[in-house]
Amino acid sequence: MSEVQRRKYTQEERTAIFDGEFMPHIDSMYNFAFRLTFDEDDAKDLVQDTYMKAFRFINSFEQGTNAKAWLFRILKNSFINEYRKKSKQPAKVDYQEVETFYNSDDVDYQSTTDLRAESVKDMLGDEISNALNALAVDFRTVIILADLEGFTYEEMAKILDIPIGTVRSRLHRARNLLKDKLKGYAQSMGYNTDEEEE
Amino acid sequence: MEINNQSSGERKLQCNDVTRCFQLLESILDGDLGENGKEVLKEKLDKCQPCFEHFHLEQAIREVLKTKCTKQPVPTELADSIRQMIQESK
Ligand SMILES: [Zn+2]
Repeated sequence: MSEVQRRKYTQEERTAIFDGEFMPHIDSMYNFAFRLTFDEDDAKDLVQDTYMKAFRFINSFEQGTNAKAWLFRILKNSFINEYRKKSKQPAKVDYQEVETFYNSDDVDYQSTTDLRAESVKDMLGDEISNALNALAVDFRTVIILADLEGFTYEEMAKILDIPIGTVRSRLHRARNLLKDKLKGYAQSMGYNTDEEEE
Repeated sequence: MEINNQSSGERKLQCNDVTRCFQLLESILDGDLGENGKEVLKEKLDKCQPCFEHFHLEQAIREVLKTKCTKQPVPTELADSIRQMIQESK
């Protein structure tokens, strides 16, 4: 990897960047880490590792650019390279999700769910969280980045090292899978999910 | 943005191009089209029932994810322990 050769930051500048641009994102970072690992200790380790790496490679961070996206990218890479392997519980793989994911690059927009906006709005935080947590990690990740953290497609493409078109289609699939799970909750709650009542 | 929920009477019940429309609606909701999206959006929502319904469902999903997802409180000692590790590594 060819590192862009920037001037090195002074000790004061490093501290200023770290405290002023990196540390304010600790809440988002911890929540991202927790949603990836589902474990408080693992999440803590992951966030600590990320900040250590951020400090070590601080010269490759351009002051004033998007620190949050830069940090999220480090965290995501650490998770893939280290935590995913030694994870306490084997990754839950939903084969249907994986299959849909890898089989085509085209996205099916025809498959409409009969889930209604009103029943979604009535759902509890726990139901939403559970549905999100039940998604395979790649799908969970794009929803966290887009909806919980408000990253743009372009930022997500950089964080995940994938093309923008893939961000868009993965996000679409992720939300469809989420809708399926929410539909299950809606039905069990007795909300009306039918198309139209006669 | 005010959207009238009642007047579905004038909208067509079949969408001419679901794939293009829905992809567009989702990009607009994700903020990917900026200001350009807003005019297109009004047109779609006024004239097409499937687009109208899809938009509101997608909007609701984003809204509940953003507002209702339970947040994990950050352990109080985490920030301090990070600062300490940094100090020690200097
Ligand atoms: Zn339409």
